[in-house]
Amino acid sequence: MIEAKNISKVFSTKRGTTHVIDNVSFTVKRNEFVVLFGPGQCGKTTLINLLSGLDTPTSGTVMVNDKQVLRPGPERGVVFQAMALFPWLTVRENVAYGLKARGFAKSYWMERSSYYIDLVGLSGFEDAFINKLSGGMKQRVGIARAYCNEPEVLFMDEPFSALDAQTRYLMQEEVMRIWSKEKRTVVFVTNNIEEAVYLADRIILLTNTPAKIKQEYPITLSRPRDYTSFEFLALRDEISKNMDSTL
Amino acid sequence: MKRLPSWAYGVISIFSFLVFWAVGIYFSEIKIVMPGPWQVIIGFLRSFIRPIGRHTMTVHILYSLMRVVPAYIVGSLVGVTLGILMGWYAPVNAFFRPIYELIRPIPPIAWIPISIVWFGIGEGSKWFLIFLAAFVPVTLNSISGAKSVDPLLIKCGEMLGASKNYIFRSIVLPFSVPYIFSGLQVGLAGAWATVVAAEMIRSSEGVGWIIISSMDTNDVTQSLIGIMGIGIVGFLLAIIMRKTEDYLCAWTIREG
Repeated sequence: MIEAKNISKVFSTKRGTTHVIDNVSFTVKRNEFVVLFGPGQCGKTTLINLLSGLDTPTSGTVMVNDKQVLRPGPERGVVFQAMALFPWLTVRENVAYGLKARGFAKSYWMERSSYYIDLVGLSGFEDAFINKLSGGMKQRVGIARAYCNEPEVLFMDEPFSALDAQTRYLMQEEVMRIWSKEKRTVVFVTNNIEEAVYLADRIILLTNTPAKIKQEYPITLSRPRDYTSFEFLALRDEISKNMDSTL
Repeated sequence: MKRLPSWAYGVISIFSFLVFWAVGIYFSEIKIVMPGPWQVIIGFLRSFIRPIGRHTMTVHILYSLMRVVPAYIVGSLVGVTLGILMGWYAPVNAFFRPIYELIRPIPPIAWIPISIVWFGIGEGSKWFLIFLAAFVPVTLNSISGAKSVDPLLIKCGEMLGASKNYIFRSIVLPFSVPYIFSGLQVGLAGAWATVVAAEMIRSSEGVGWIIISSMDTNDVTQSLIGIMGIGIVGFLLAIIMRKTEDYLCAWTIREG
């Protein structure tokens, strides 16, 4: 379970201060899939950095399973927009990185990495280097790497924004398939409304900078969802209309 | 027109150079002091059979390599170690940077008198000069390698639960390898070039000695034969280094 209590983030530079996150509080239940949705540049990435411990809030606290988050750690997996894979390692070595780093036996990380490589559909590519893979395959490695470390919660920061539209749809389905098979608490960031409605148990709509919570939308449509169903389109339009415009 | 393979361009380039040289010699008065290309090439090939001074070219090359290789290896090891530590640990950098920056602009030959005082006129002083020639560029490139590590990859390592030591071994080192190799290339060229200067300190063998001794006898052909030897061996060493890099950094080559 994730609990964000009154978190704010102010960046100070020589040219002044920027208020990016303004007093945001929310909770994410165990195995819930929450999408943080908001206009571009509104501070979504900053928010996910605060939740995952990659950055610390100026005020307020983030708790994951009743422990305060102070630094990045293996309990909180992150799938990065920029993927951040290790190009000198093979697919398997990337996926098993966390388990190896934490000193698990080879038989264990071999078995676990095989399981997750298979889960994301990359069987047969275990020994390929990252640069040989397409964008979609790279992000599959990123997802498998985060999963393989067996984190309590998963953060996905616009993981598909660098992919072409076709691959993006495919990856959304893939994430749903993986998540329904391996339930985890997920916080997913996107600025794509269809992606948000397709994936979320609940959408948290953020305002423009400084980001505040504008409204929450529980999404109760049954899965797998149909991008063209009447309910889907109605929700999409309702949320879109409520979103702040970016200048 | 079909494009020629790249080695063909190389052959044409070298051949044109030789023709340009031959024509220049033929039509100018410089032929009084300067031999033509064939004279030098034949002299070079003959030097493998007929000794220059006391040794054949093969032995001269081996003597020079014996001076370059150990000093280059030690200089590279020290350079990589110091450079990576300086690039990654700010206090190490703060401590060593001033002294390194003082040593960096000094050309290896400026150390000749001091090296003789410290290490005598034997192999020691030669090794010292070559050590410096390798150490300086290797250190510089290793520093920039460790400094350029993508901070997101470091965060990613922390996120996955790696310790500081593990991150150093598994991210900082491999990330720096391509930088280290470009330092090793520059260092190798520098070390090999410095052998000429090193062999100016009393020696009676080596490719550098061939050139030094040609100055005493005013033998321009011998000088050019020595230059050719240095050039060809340097070229071969660079190729060996490139192949090693291709093998060790398969993942950077595959990029793009």
